Amino acid sequence: MKILIADDSRVMRQIVIRTLRQAGFDDHEIVEAEDGADALAKVGSEEPDLVLSDWNMPNMTGIECLQALRSSGSTVPFGFVTSEGSPEMRERAANAGALFLIAKPFNEDTFADALSGVIA
Amino acid sequence: MTTIDTGERRRGADTRPVITELIDEATVEAIAQEAWISLVGEDEVLVPLPGEPVADPLSSWVDVVGPWTGSVVLTTGRRTAEELTRALLREHSPEVLEDEDVADAFGEIANVVGGNVKAALPGSSGLSLPDVGDAPALRNPEDVCRVDLLWRGETVSISVQGALPPLPAH
Repeated sequence: MKILIADDSRVMRQIVIRTLRQAGFDDHEIVEAEDGADALAKVGSEEPDLVLSDWNMPNMTGIECLQALRSSGSTVPFGFVTSEGSPEMRERAANAGALFLIAKPFNEDTFADALSGVIA
Repeated sequence: MTTIDTGERRRGADTRPVITELIDEATVEAIAQEAWISLVGEDEVLVPLPGEPVADPLSSWVDVVGPWTGSVVLTTGRRTAEELTRALLREHSPEVLEDEDVADAFGEIANVVGGNVKAALPGSSGLSLPDVGDAPALRNPEDVCRVDLLWRGETVSISVQGALPPLPAH
């Protein structure tokens, strides 16, 4: 399985990768994107099986990326990993077609709960 | 039709909440503790004690814009910010840290703390991308919620501070 991780923070991308491994999802190919525009391009070129995306990013936000993907007909499974976990943001994410929203700070249990039905 | 001026609209326009009406120190500290455990390490605790004044300070912050507008500012010494960066990077920590690494890691801590402070505030607000450097100026001493903490014996302060000057007194 190929997982695309989009976050403008390189440190946070590493923390997400580390937490995926700690949650037991350690046998997957990882692709990184540094903002929403990069993620949008890499969904096309890399054809990931899952996108884990930050919300607030320069150039293109995560929600804009998700909306652009759905507008173009992409059905790639998409989840947010963001510091903004309010009910309002969760509703916006779900309405745009996100499968889940993992709020930062998170731990391996949060990842396991959100991803167990998504990652084989 | 006679309109009665109750002053309601003027009062509504002339008042805005200060942060101490919206969040307290205990909530800010709890948010910071969770962020530390998740990002810095499971055994990393923040001790709620004021420390020595910070020499060579560095701040990271995010801005919140909404019913309350201001910044969530973390301040510590530059050396401590570097130590935090190494803690976040763990095995990926380079021998020589670049300023960019510190800005990324210390900014991300502000992003996580700030995002959770924002979520605890009433109403709908926007959150900026993090910034790192000299702390934004304190505009209104009444519109500040500040906690002073120690991490590995070093001072870390978190200031949730309004961006607007006080309203003129009537």
